[in-house]
This record gives sequence, C-alpha cells and structure tokens, in this order.
Amino acid sequence: MAEILTGAQLMCRVLLEEGVDVMFGYPGGAIMPFYHALPEFPGLRHILVRHEQAAAHAADGYARASGRAGVCVATSGPGATNLVTGLACAYMDNSPVVAITGQVSRPMMGRDAFQETDIIGVTLPITKWSVLVEDISTLADTMRRAFAVALEGRPGPVLVDVPKDVQNQRIEYTPRAAAPVRRATPVADAAALDAAAGLIARAERPLILAGHGIILGNASEDLRIFAEHTGIPVITTLLGISAFPEDHPLHLGMPGMHGEVHVNRAIQHADLLIAVGMRFDDRVTGNTAGFARNAKIVHIELDPTEIGKNVPVEVPLVGDAGPILSALTRALAPRSCTSWWEEIDASRRPQYEQFKGDIAPEAILRALHDASGGRCSIVADVGQHQMWVAKLFPYRRLNTHFSSGGLGAMGFAVPAAIGVHLARPDEPVWAISGDGGFQMNMQEMATMVQEGLPIKLAIFNNGYLGMVRQWQQFFHGRRYSATPIWSPDYVKLAEAYGIAGYRVEQGVQIAGAVEAALRDPGPALIEFVIEQEANVYPMIPPGASLSEVIETAPAPEPASA
Amino acid sequence: MSHLHCITVVLDDKLVTLNAAVGLLRRRNLPVRSVTFGPHVAEGRSRLFAMIEADEGAAQRVALLFEKLIGVDEARVVPAADTVARELALIRIRAQAESYGELLDVLGLYHANVLEEGPDGLVVELTGPDTFVLSCLRAVERFGIVDVARSGAVAIERPAESPRAPTSTEASVP
Ligand SMILES: Cc1ncc(C[n+]2csc(CCOP(=O)(O)OP(=O)(O)O)c2C)c(N)n1
Repeated sequence: MAEILTGAQLMCRVLLEEGVDVMFGYPGGAIMPFYHALPEFPGLRHILVRHEQAAAHAADGYARASGRAGVCVATSGPGATNLVTGLACAYMDNSPVVAITGQVSRPMMGRDAFQETDIIGVTLPITKWSVLVEDISTLADTMRRAFAVALEGRPGPVLVDVPKDVQNQRIEYTPRAAAPVRRATPVADAAALDAAAGLIARAERPLILAGHGIILGNASEDLRIFAEHTGIPVITTLLGISAFPEDHPLHLGMPGMHGEVHVNRAIQHADLLIAVGMRFDDRVTGNTAGFARNAKIVHIELDPTEIGKNVPVEVPLVGDAGPILSALTRALAPRSCTSWWEEIDASRRPQYEQFKGDIAPEAILRALHDASGGRCSIVADVGQHQMWVAKLFPYRRLNTHFSSGGLGAMGFAVPAAIGVHLARPDEPVWAISGDGGFQMNMQEMATMVQEGLPIKLAIFNNGYLGMVRQWQQFFHGRRYSATPIWSPDYVKLAEAYGIAGYRVEQGVQIAGAVEAALRDPGPALIEFVIEQEANVYPMIPPGASLSEVIETAPAPEPASA
Repeated sequence: MSHLHCITVVLDDKLVTLNAAVGLLRRRNLPVRSVTFGPHVAEGRSRLFAMIEADEGAAQRVALLFEKLIGVDEARVVPAADTVARELALIRIRAQAESYGELLDVLGLYHANVLEEGPDGLVVELTGPDTFVLSCLRAVERFGIVDVARSGAVAIERPAESPRAPTSTEASVP
C-alpha cells in the first residue's frame, strides 16, 4: 500500500527494511530533517557519539562483530569529513559500513555554501561506492543498493549523501525488496582446483595462511576440516586471528613484522603456501623479493584483483573460501605433515618478551582471558599493545579479535568496542588501547555513560607512543622525538565521567581490578602502568625480508651525534 | 614483460563515475600514457580509453579494478599492438596568400580536410595515429599554427588475423 512520506521518513523506513536496529551518529544542519523523522521510528536506536570518527568506527565494529551492515550518520561539511578515517579503516579491512551524510540543499550546491564539502569526491577512493542522491525518486533504491553493495562480494563501506531538500521532499512510497546483487560470486574453476590439489598432495612443507576472508566468508569450519584432513600448519594473519582456534594443535601463530621467529622461518622454508582470504600485506610479507622464495603459492581469494598484486601466484582459486576449501578436502586423500612439524617445532624459541616488573602484558591478557573464561571480545587499538594482544591473548572463539589492520588507525578501539558491544550485548567487550590511542577517542566514555553501554576499557600506559618510540630506539639512534606523552589521571578521569576507574601498578592488583571492572554493571576503566621502554620482539625491520629478524634492542649508540 | 596496453572501459555517463575511474588510474600509481573519454554507442553510456605501460597481469588487474567500480559495465584489455588507434586533430592555421598553395599541398599529403576558410585563416581536420598527427603538426608549423585541438586516441580491436600491423598509414608517415 502506497503512502506519502518525506525523504527523511523514507530513509528511516528503508533502514528498518534492511534490518537496521542501531546506528551511530551526530546531528547538524544538513541532516536535521532525518533527525526530525527519527523519533517516529522507535525500532531504530540511535547512539549519539561525541565525534563522527567514533560513529564510523562504531559502525565498523558493529559490522565486524555482527556480519551485518553498520550504519553511521553525519551532517554535511565537518560532520562528513570527520567520518573519513573511520571509512578508510572500514575500506582497508572490508567492513560493510553504510554512511549517511546530509548535504546542503541542491540549489546551494556548488556555491561553497556553508558546510558544503564535496564528500563524494573526498570519499571516492575509500569506499566501494559514494553516491549523491539527486532526487527523491531515486532515494529509496539508492539506499537499498547501498546496503547490497556494502555487503556483497568483498564487503566495504558505502556513502550516501542526501541533500537537505531531498530529505524534505515528499513522495509516494511502496515498500520493496533490496535491488538484486550486481555480480554473482565467481566459482573457482575445476582445472585450477585439480592443480591446487595436486600441489597440496605433493608438498612436503606446506602452510596455510588464513586471513580475514575466513571470518568474512564464514569459512572457519571448512578451514578446520581442511587443516585436520591434511595436517597442514595454520598461520593466522592479524585480521585472521580468531578464525582458527589458537589451542588447536595445528595452529602455528602470526606471521610478519612481529611474527614469532619459528612462524616466519616456516614461511621462508615452506614449499607451498595456501593463502586463504588474505592479501599479502607488506606487514605480512616483509620485502616481497625475499618472501617465501622456495614456495609456490595457491591463493584462495574472492576478489580477483588481489591475485598476483603483491606476490606471484602459482594457482589462483577465485571464489568463496568455504566451498573451495571443502572441495579441496574432498579432492585430497588424508595426509599428515609429521616431519615438517618436527622441523618447525625444533625451531621454536622461548618467549622473547622479557618485561621488567610484574605487570607484563602477558599477565594482563591472561587475567582478561581467565576472568571471563575466554567468553569476551577484544578490540585492540594500534601500537605495541596491539601486537601483544595479537600474540599473547589465547583466542579460541571465532571472530572475537578486532583491530584496525590495514589502516592501523589509532583511536579505533574505544569507539569500535561500542559497536562490538551493541552487536554482542551479552558478553564482555574489552577495548585495549595505549595511552596515545586512548587519548584519541576517549571522549566516547561519555557516549557509553549516556547510552548505558558497559564497555570495559584497558589502557596500557607506558608514557610513550610506544611503537614509534621503539622504531626510534631501533632505527633512529634513540632520538625520542615527540614520543613521550603525558596522560591525565585516568582514575580521576573515569570518576569525572561517573564510571569506575582502577590503576594497576603491581602484578598482584591485576586480577582484582579485572574482576571488579567486570562486576561493575556499567563501563569501567583500568589503567595498567607498564614498563616504559618495553619492546615488541621479534621484529622484522621495515623493508627487510622475513629472514632478517631483530631479537634484541640494538646497543645504545655512543652519545656523540 | 611490460608493454603498451589499451584498456577500454564502458561506463555510465555520470561525471562521478569518470571521476572514480580516473582516480583509480591515479591511485594505483600506473604508468598511464594517455586517457581519452567520450560517448559510447549505447544510450547513457560512455567509453574511456587508457593506454598504460604494464605487464599482462597488471593490465588485467586494472581492468578487474575498473569492473569493481559501481557504474562500470565492463573493462577490456588489449595489447596496443592488437588495436587500431586513431585520434582527431583540429588545426587552425594562419592564412598567407603567398604560401597558400604550398600549404594545401602539405595538407594533401596528410589527407587533411579543410573545414573552414576565412580571411585570417583556415581550420583543417586530420585523423591518424598520434605519430601521424604530430608529424603533420611539424610539417605545417612553418605556415603559422594558431591553435590545435587534439582528441586523444580512441582505439578498437583489430579483426582476428589482421595482417595490417603496423597499418599502412603509420608506415607512410613522411
Ligand atoms: C591516527 C594515527 N596516528 C599516528 C599513527 C602512528 N603510530 C603508530 S603506533 C603509534 C604509537 C601508539 O602509541 P600508544 O597508543 O601509546 O600505544 P603503544 O604503542 O605505546 O602501545 C603511532 C603514533 C597511527 N597509527 N595512527
């Protein structure tokens, strides 16, 4: 039955039809008609953030945790430009975010009107689609298509820019299903599957490199079956963490710049890499010229533009990871990799992290894990703590680790945790940040309080922009330029926001603080005062190959220059 | 092996799609020799021609990247050697009574048509491969060129097994 709606009402209706129940946003002039209509739609919960960047990261976190599109809303001009970092992050990490921005009214466009920004032009390179709605007659279909585009194939963000006068126009509205998905998923070709199966059957030192695509493609079960069928060690990239249980005997660890030595060594000695849903980021490969020189590569990937982009591929298998992995399982006789495993195990070393003092990241992460029996989601920010979280938290449950991988956007964790919490209200969500990244979006504590979101915040306070300081120590002769960073009194800050705050300065306080924070029904903050100049080991220097590993700090240079 | 490829892209006629397509070429940091854009035969569609210097795999990847853009219908890669490429040039030349006949002789060599004639000059039209156009421009330079409008190259795939490579016009550049 047709009815007359304003553009703004129509936008809300389409959001509901697309299954949206929560969105993250911030009002302003050009999006006011939308906000005027919003209270008529109680099924749409709106989370008022404190900065639009947080709205985009929260929508991203929601999308990653739920597998559904995350929605963020902002006004034109500064509201829209504030979304940019969050959209770039979602783009790099393939997160289906739909951003809705107000735009100045059409008669004002192109005249540098107040708060007019060409947000389409700004976001073209960091979205799957950026679209200006030029008339109300196309508004509903554009909105529906935005969701389809964000979710189809390899997911990613979409931006819909709606001029204020279009939001106020009226039109006869008939509910309709979303526009059909543009391109069907390619099906890997049979000859390539045979070729891959042959390589796998013959390989003596094969490895699986599992990436984010396993999680996005719901392929973790197929991966486990394939791995168990073949006995091949499974390496998980930063965004592949929690795609494969870490207590599984076939799990090997994380590769790349901060990967364990035995993991990178295995890559360098492998004769076959089976890469699944990962894109050979330079943080994984190091210098590609020296990457896995002895290995042929089978690349299972949904997006054909990734094939051969960074490393040459022997057999590309373009399509959904799950069906391809199960087809390979069917095509292969069961095998094992006993002598290869022996070789890898013989190259294992003791843990590198030799923290001074007893608030070692390892102890903190073990406490976070144990306090909830592992039933929690972890959202890491960017820096040293991100690597410790990746390496030391024992992930056993699918899709419980979230991090800004491709963009490496500091400030991600706190707002993204808001989105993760809203997707998973029944389990604890920890946002783990450094003292630098926390201060980039700590204003979102107010959002948590206003909206009653019991997110748990952990700050690894080392008094430095730690990861940059580490590079300065290793590669810039210890010149700590602009890396010492002052922090407020976080316990008092928590108090100012009306939430529980704890400072942990001794190892014995860790478990108590974690348990108290979890018991608290609201948001809670723990500041862990960690060793100031601890480093993340091992490390492959930027631009070096995976074989050129740093395992200790360089000797301090003579204080001459 | 890196060599010249012609990528032809059929896209809708919205400027934002052109913007996205050109942005893609820029962002992927590709050695682009030329980009030409014009209408396509299908209603509401445009066609973009990009000449890029790349190996086969990279060129194919660019085409796939184009096809990921919303608004792009298809993108095809053809090695430049397998295409016939032409551009149009409009040239305005100052008229000089004393050398007029000589000018017409030169233009005749290039099969250039005189489109407009007036007391202060003439406008001629010329088509050919870019080398041919450049050669003609050099040849008429001494008569006094007022302005030149070049279309950039459009290209189309040769029929299969065509023996004409390079074309006779290319071979006959004076
Ligand atoms: C938005 C942004 N700005 C700058 C950087 C560069 N950067 C990478 S890690 C890092 C230091 C992070 O310091 P902190 O948040 O204290 O974490 P730590 O490394 O000490 O654990 C910086 C500045 C970045 N990744 N993101």
